[in-house]
Amino acid sequence: MSEANNGAAGIGAADIAGADAADETVIRIEDLRKTFGDNEVLRGIDLDVRRGEVVVILGPSGSGKSTLLRCVNLLEKPTGGRIFFEDTEITAKKTDINKVRAKVGMVFQNFNLFPHLTAKKNVMLAQQKVLHRNKEEAARIAEEQLEKVGLGERIDYRPSELSGGQQQRVAIARALAMDPHVMLFDEATSALDPELVRDVLSVMKELARGGMTMIVVTHEMGFARDVADRVIFMDGGHIVEQGTPEEVFDHPTSDRTKDFLGHIS
Amino acid sequence: MQIAFAFARKHLAGAAAVLFAAALAVSFVLPVQAHALDVERWTAKPNKDGDNTTVLGATATRVTWQGQTAEDESLASVTIEMPEGTTVGAENVKTTVLVGLDRLDAASEAVVDGNDVTVTLAEPAPAGALVMVECNRTLLPGGGGSFGLAGSYTTADGQRHDMPATDQVINVTGTSPAEQLSSWLNQQDWVKAWNSNKFLHLFFDPAIIVTSVPALFAGWLVSIGVVVVSFPLAIPLGLLLSFLRMAKHRLPRAIGATYINIVRGTPLFLQLYIAFFGLPLMGVQMDNFTMGAIVLVMNSSAYLAEIFRAGIQSISQGQFEAARSLGMNGAQTMFFVIIPQTVRRVIPTMTSEFILMYKDTSLLAAVGVTELMMYAKTITAATGNVTPYIVAAGFYLIVTIPLTKLINTMEARMSNGRRKHKKGPADRSITSAASVVPDSDAGVARSIRLSETFAGPASQTDAATRIYEDAKRNGNHISH
Repeated sequence: MSEANNGAAGIGAADIAGADAADETVIRIEDLRKTFGDNEVLRGIDLDVRRGEVVVILGPSGSGKSTLLRCVNLLEKPTGGRIFFEDTEITAKKTDINKVRAKVGMVFQNFNLFPHLTAKKNVMLAQQKVLHRNKEEAARIAEEQLEKVGLGERIDYRPSELSGGQQQRVAIARALAMDPHVMLFDEATSALDPELVRDVLSVMKELARGGMTMIVVTHEMGFARDVADRVIFMDGGHIVEQGTPEEVFDHPTSDRTKDFLGHIS
Repeated sequence: MQIAFAFARKHLAGAAAVLFAAALAVSFVLPVQAHALDVERWTAKPNKDGDNTTVLGATATRVTWQGQTAEDESLASVTIEMPEGTTVGAENVKTTVLVGLDRLDAASEAVVDGNDVTVTLAEPAPAGALVMVECNRTLLPGGGGSFGLAGSYTTADGQRHDMPATDQVINVTGTSPAEQLSSWLNQQDWVKAWNSNKFLHLFFDPAIIVTSVPALFAGWLVSIGVVVVSFPLAIPLGLLLSFLRMAKHRLPRAIGATYINIVRGTPLFLQLYIAFFGLPLMGVQMDNFTMGAIVLVMNSSAYLAEIFRAGIQSISQGQFEAARSLGMNGAQTMFFVIIPQTVRRVIPTMTSEFILMYKDTSLLAAVGVTELMMYAKTITAATGNVTPYIVAAGFYLIVTIPLTKLINTMEARMSNGRRKHKKGPADRSITSAASVVPDSDAGVARSIRLSETFAGPASQTDAATRIYEDAKRNGNHISH
């Protein structure tokens, strides 16, 4: 657990004031399975994420960690199992997935900013179309969020005029403007030049400190160690090991984990 | 009753007597002058190519007046009043006097004063002589009209008489400034030299170029009109078809694919024939222009649908995912994220399609739409010269060449714009369409075009589409 809601000048923590209800589960994943053709990528994942918790998922490529993340907002349709978001079973047919997605922010490896829109418009679009905020309000929030990620100067730039790190911070601002209850980070720094990684990570750290519930797929061990409440090690579509950063990094129990960590560091 | 009848009869007889006397008087008085000279001819030589009855105005012709002096009179001079606006040179006036079968070698002098041509014979033409005045290289009024004979003549005794009336008239067909320029050109030596080369004459006859341009202009406007009406209508239909083609459900996808494959897999010419000969048999009546436009819309929309599909599918999957992850629904994603990006990418290809449609309007000539090609065909048939087709080519080119240049400019700008910010990917996409990166506008535009050019109707895939489809096979799609 992060020390949520300690009044830090966190980002986007405004609407998780209820995080005092400490053990509330925000996301519950039960026996999640996903196959692509013959390839079984997720082989029965069970995972609960509590409000305000920062969960970092590690694992070699192909271990299914990104797929797991993408299943949480149904960018991938699970083949089996169930996923609950707050009180809603999002894997149920009748669920309006767009409503769920509006509350689950996602940040992609490739930023995926809308190239035809300026930074500000990128942040405004979904606010207007999904949350039906009027233009002035959306613009105000966009400016606020861009300011918080350190891009107050660049609100009228197009993505092509921004560096990778700046683009990724716009993408974070875009997700945060929707007042998400959970943020998903899918290798958010993997496509960045090393010197740009730091800016993005510091935004993410601050977000975590502000009490945001986060699931982070990353290769940044330092970030995992510093920020994670819980580290999950995945391999071959299973959760092999999980625990506090100290437990997983310093006293891994599984050989696979030891092997992986040995290779990394 | 009886009294009234008798009264009427008495007066009727009187009236008849008066009429008879008047008629007698007229018949004595009039022939006195008329018999001095009989006009036998008042004609102009036809001067239109391929037409031996028409006399064109403002085009060189020969006007001939011919008269015969009476038995008791000799002719000293003739004044012919030419139609207002005629140009005639005194040096081109030739006078011939025939007595019986002999030509009289009498000198004559012609004077042109305004529209009057006066020929004075050095020696009066004897009684019964035939006098012929030929005005060569005469330009009759360009506006055309019907012109009777007017003028006067003097007899040897110095008496002046009005020109006898004749029912012969010269009918002049009006000519446009272009026709006048054309006939002027035909008189020029360099044009004659030019036309002495058979190839130049048949394909690039200056005079026919000059007359074809304004004549074809009307057809050109029709061609432009057909495209300007059809193309904007084909766009929404094409978009609709591309959505059908990409639909999630099998039925709309099959409908879209069937339509697109049939339309793209058959010649437009055949489609036109089916519509123009089939629909009237079904009792559907509409004018040729409308029918032609409808067929073009239906045809072009199938091609546009594939352009749009390739464009939409060239947008990286991440764009769909980002939009959907923010909670936007499918329609919002399409209209606010995907289509705005697609428009930029497909504009060059759409412009190519516009050019194709514009050129395809020529096929409408075969089904009776009076467009550019139809006019060219008609003039060529009339003159037996290919020049009108060459002029028609010019009319097509003045639209297609600037548009082609525009496409190149747009593509260059796209690749430059990209290269400035993203060196690697943009460069790769320029060198090869196969390695196109979905994010590169220029690469996509080019690869769409390449596949348009080289792929068969049913197999239009470009690199970007393949990337997309691979992703799809991997189950990497967006769920709803």
